[in-house]
Amino acid sequence: MKNLILVLKKELYRVFSDRKLIISLFIVPAILMFAIYSLIGTLAKSMNSDIESHTSKTYIVNATDMLEKVVKDSEFGKNADIKYLSDSEYASQKTDLEEQIRNGDADLIVVVQKDFDSVFSAYKGQGDAIPNINIVFNSTENYSQQAYSVFSNALNDYRTKLLGSRIGNLEQLTVFNQTETEIVKESKAGTQFIAMMLPYMIMIMLFSGAMSISVDAFAGEKERGTLASMLVSPIRRTDIAMGKVIALAIIAALSSIVYAVSMIISMSTMGGSMSGMSSGFGAVHFDIMQIVQLGLMLIVLDYFFVVVIAVLSSFAKDTKSASTFVTPAYMVVLVSALLTMFQSGAKNTLVKYAIPLYGNAIAIQDITTGDIQPVNFFVSLGVTVLVSAILTGVLAKIFDSDKLMFNA
Amino acid sequence: MISVNNLTKVYKLTASKMKELRTTENTKIAVNKLSFEAKPGEIYGLLGPNGAGKTTTLRCIATILKPTEGSVRVNGFDTVKEGEKVRGSIAFLTNEIKLDAHFTTDYMFRFFGRIHGMTEEQIDKRRDELFTRFDIHSFAGKKIEELSTGMKQRAAIAVTLVHDPEVVIFDEPTSGLDILTARTVTDYLKELKEAGKTVVVSTHIMSEAEKLCDRIGIIINGKKVIEGTLADIYEQTHTDDLEDAFFELYKENGGDVK
Repeated sequence: MKNLILVLKKELYRVFSDRKLIISLFIVPAILMFAIYSLIGTLAKSMNSDIESHTSKTYIVNATDMLEKVVKDSEFGKNADIKYLSDSEYASQKTDLEEQIRNGDADLIVVVQKDFDSVFSAYKGQGDAIPNINIVFNSTENYSQQAYSVFSNALNDYRTKLLGSRIGNLEQLTVFNQTETEIVKESKAGTQFIAMMLPYMIMIMLFSGAMSISVDAFAGEKERGTLASMLVSPIRRTDIAMGKVIALAIIAALSSIVYAVSMIISMSTMGGSMSGMSSGFGAVHFDIMQIVQLGLMLIVLDYFFVVVIAVLSSFAKDTKSASTFVTPAYMVVLVSALLTMFQSGAKNTLVKYAIPLYGNAIAIQDITTGDIQPVNFFVSLGVTVLVSAILTGVLAKIFDSDKLMFNA
Repeated sequence: MISVNNLTKVYKLTASKMKELRTTENTKIAVNKLSFEAKPGEIYGLLGPNGAGKTTTLRCIATILKPTEGSVRVNGFDTVKEGEKVRGSIAFLTNEIKLDAHFTTDYMFRFFGRIHGMTEEQIDKRRDELFTRFDIHSFAGKKIEELSTGMKQRAAIAVTLVHDPEVVIFDEPTSGLDILTARTVTDYLKELKEAGKTVVVSTHIMSEAEKLCDRIGIIINGKKVIEGTLADIYEQTHTDDLEDAFFELYKENGGDVK
């Protein structure tokens, strides 16, 4: 135990006595994370306000008097440059106008059937002709998409007014009133976005934090011959392996805490720019139990990742081949975390929590929303501890192997 | 005291290694039934060409490798069953084992002193002795990555000897060193011998072995072909020069001398 602590202290000293390493491990990622999320927020805010303030260039063909009035009084009409065209004018310019839509130079063309009013008035019953309004827009252009969305609201008003004129009393069409009363679990309110993103972000940050230092601590030291200096000293090889793994787990955990804090700070500075994203973060309040559960899960996952990378790196002769071994593991972590983004809402079975990585990801998701069942939590935690313990045993075996440690 | 008894080490060869060595055998006998003893107060030299099995033998003594057959005892401890005790009583230095360049010599010296269970007072005392002997004080606080090759080698020797071990094993002790540092190392090996330590060195430099070793064992293709003092070897090979003796033995044992 004494020697294990000596190795642990040495590994920690190695990182914390190296200014360049501190900067590259903790400070640069924090600044980058803050800068990236702030930039995303600023750009998203700017994009939203730009779309909302854009004056929609719109052509309305054969507009009826009522439609013209409805559009003028609607939200759409307040910020749109509308040109009204006759049927013949449209026919002569059709190709050019559609090209404008395709190129994003115009946002919307509304083509009302030429004899709209008379067809509408002639309607007596089933089988009679129904007039048509065709909307031409470009779904790949944000301005056009937004114009279509806002204009559809105006068109609904127009539809209601026409129905009123046909029936005389609109209340006859109202068979019931609809009101909404929203009931949500307090712990789940505003957490959908964070619950979707958190497993992904936590697992990626923990793994990449562990990867950057663990590959060098095992394969790098083996390659440089510095690990051998410890292997020929009177210290149990298990103590060397464990001392390194624990130290690296501490460093990786600190690194991911720095990532997480900088990310949360930058998310909260986004304001309302990301329509629901920042509010999802702002509304999150973890209670003590959730914090404890999340903390335990992160500690166990952190150790698990370090020991996985340690085993793979110890198999490798040098850092180059270690990186080759670790990359597929990174992909597995990435996919496991991504899978949680596609949850249908159905309750997960206990077996899913027993799948390493995926089980951890859905457990983190459940902790975030306050839905975690104690049995699911302990199964996920227990399996990870068990797998980590097995991998630690494998690592100890590798350290005892002449062939693997000395390439003999 | 080192006692090597019928030591055999067989390596399994990978397919790529078999191709590289142009062989169809999937094993290679690196050391073949080797026996010798190195006693306190003497420098025992293992001589042989590259690939003869010198380094493998030293690695088995240092507990890095486990013998396929036979046994090695160091100060009475079995290298397989009592590896930690063996490692606690030896210093093993080779060019392949290096100090972590991120640390200072001072830090590494203290770290390994603590690993060997020494008190801070013992470490301080030993530090003064060795740092003065190898002229390390001036760069003791510098990171090892900032040191010259000679400085790094001196630092590595001092760190390896921190616990004042009874047995000292040096694989190619002067390889890659400038003449001044090489002289410092060979002089110190003689001092260790005078102090009653057991010293084993491996080398392929005949002049170094002649000057340094009390007894020499020549290994060719994993087998010991001769052992004794310089006089014994000259007598048995009817030569008066170690290099000539080596070539005679090499030819006798199927070596191709061009």
